[in-house]
Amino acid sequence: MISRQAIFDVLRTIPDPEMPISIVDLGLIESVDVSGSAVSVVALPTFVGCPALEMISRDIESRLGRLPGVASVNVRWVHDPPWSVDRISGAGRAALREHGVTVPESGSRLEVHGAAGATVPLTVGAADVPCPFCGSKKTHLDSPFGPTRCRMIYYCDACRNSFEHLKKV
Amino acid sequence: MPDLPEHLRKPLVNLLLAAADDKLFLGHRNSEWTGLGPILEEDIAFSSLAQDDMAHAAALYELAGSIDGRSADELAFGRTPEQYRCAAIVEVPDEFDWATAIVRRFFCNHFDLLRLTRFSQSAWKPLSDLARRLVAEQQVHVRHVDDWMVRLGAGTPESHRRMQKAIDAISPLATELFEPLDELKSLVDAGLYPGSDFAMYDQWREAVAHVLGQSHLTVHFEIGSPEDRGGRRGVHTQYLGPMLDEMCEVYRLEPKAAW
Repeated sequence: MISRQAIFDVLRTIPDPEMPISIVDLGLIESVDVSGSAVSVVALPTFVGCPALEMISRDIESRLGRLPGVASVNVRWVHDPPWSVDRISGAGRAALREHGVTVPESGSRLEVHGAAGATVPLTVGAADVPCPFCGSKKTHLDSPFGPTRCRMIYYCDACRNSFEHLKKV
Repeated sequence: MPDLPEHLRKPLVNLLLAAADDKLFLGHRNSEWTGLGPILEEDIAFSSLAQDDMAHAAALYELAGSIDGRSADELAFGRTPEQYRCAAIVEVPDEFDWATAIVRRFFCNHFDLLRLTRFSQSAWKPLSDLARRLVAEQQVHVRHVDDWMVRLGAGTPESHRRMQKAIDAISPLATELFEPLDELKSLVDAGLYPGSDFAMYDQWREAVAHVLGQSHLTVHFEIGSPEDRGGRRGVHTQYLGPMLDEMCEVYRLEPKAAW
């Protein structure tokens, strides 16, 4: 029987279509189940209806399908538990920073409050986001929307570069 | 509650369709700004917001379809105008007036945040799971539009004048978001849609008043809609039909086409 280790070794080589890290480092893989020659993968979307989901499913199916001993691959997307930036691995964070994309600190996920109405805290554009190029904290949110739905645009007032910061959701 | 009781299915589909329809048409109206935004960042923002809203609509259509067997495409594009449950505020064109586009989003985004929050507390797990993610994304929308309300309302005399004019024009439609849906009480009682519309209305009023205060803008709400209109009952403005014709042009050519 095929080992879960072998499955994860393959998943670790599949890059996210919109981020320069693997889908495992991005925290998309919730669980892998092997039953005989059938493999089931449960995955979490970053953003609801992210346009890359189908492509990721196809990548997983075709790559795992090529493993000896695998007859079928099933990919299922679920919202429980919800994906959050906390799921990005240390290696993933380092690789993203290298590419000029910063990630909110672990544990900083937006809390979803009850029907709090006016008091729902809105802390999307965090202050003190360090510039990935020069390290300065003299940065500001330029736009909460960027090249993909999960990224925002920040600007560094010290080295005058713009960079991307993942939404804290 | 994996199996929904039979008598709650239709009211729940109705509620999900109202939420999805609001998002679908708001998203479509916002997508009209793609390429025409007043600054590059907002061109990207409105395109992203439209993409978010349509994705939220698609996810809610899928949930509704999981109850009554229709596909998301059928629900989005395959109904006649009187079968839609959206409110008038998402139907009217903004005539490419930026103030109107922002003010419309402002009223709708705060309403949606509260509605999605109630969804996130639903006893029906497929809905609460999805809604937890939607709420997190919706908070970004609210933050974005609040920033623009303050920036323009408390900006120059010219920007303030144009924002106040947009509020005066749009606000009569805003309270129609709260028009009651059929059999909503059964959903509330069953814990599928916890809370009450009255409490939600107060929270919405408080949230928008807080931002309007910072924006030096004023609003006077009148509750209730004209007798001859009620989007939640399928009685729509003259703008919905032509907008649907445009959105559905390709779908109607080949409804069974796979994309």
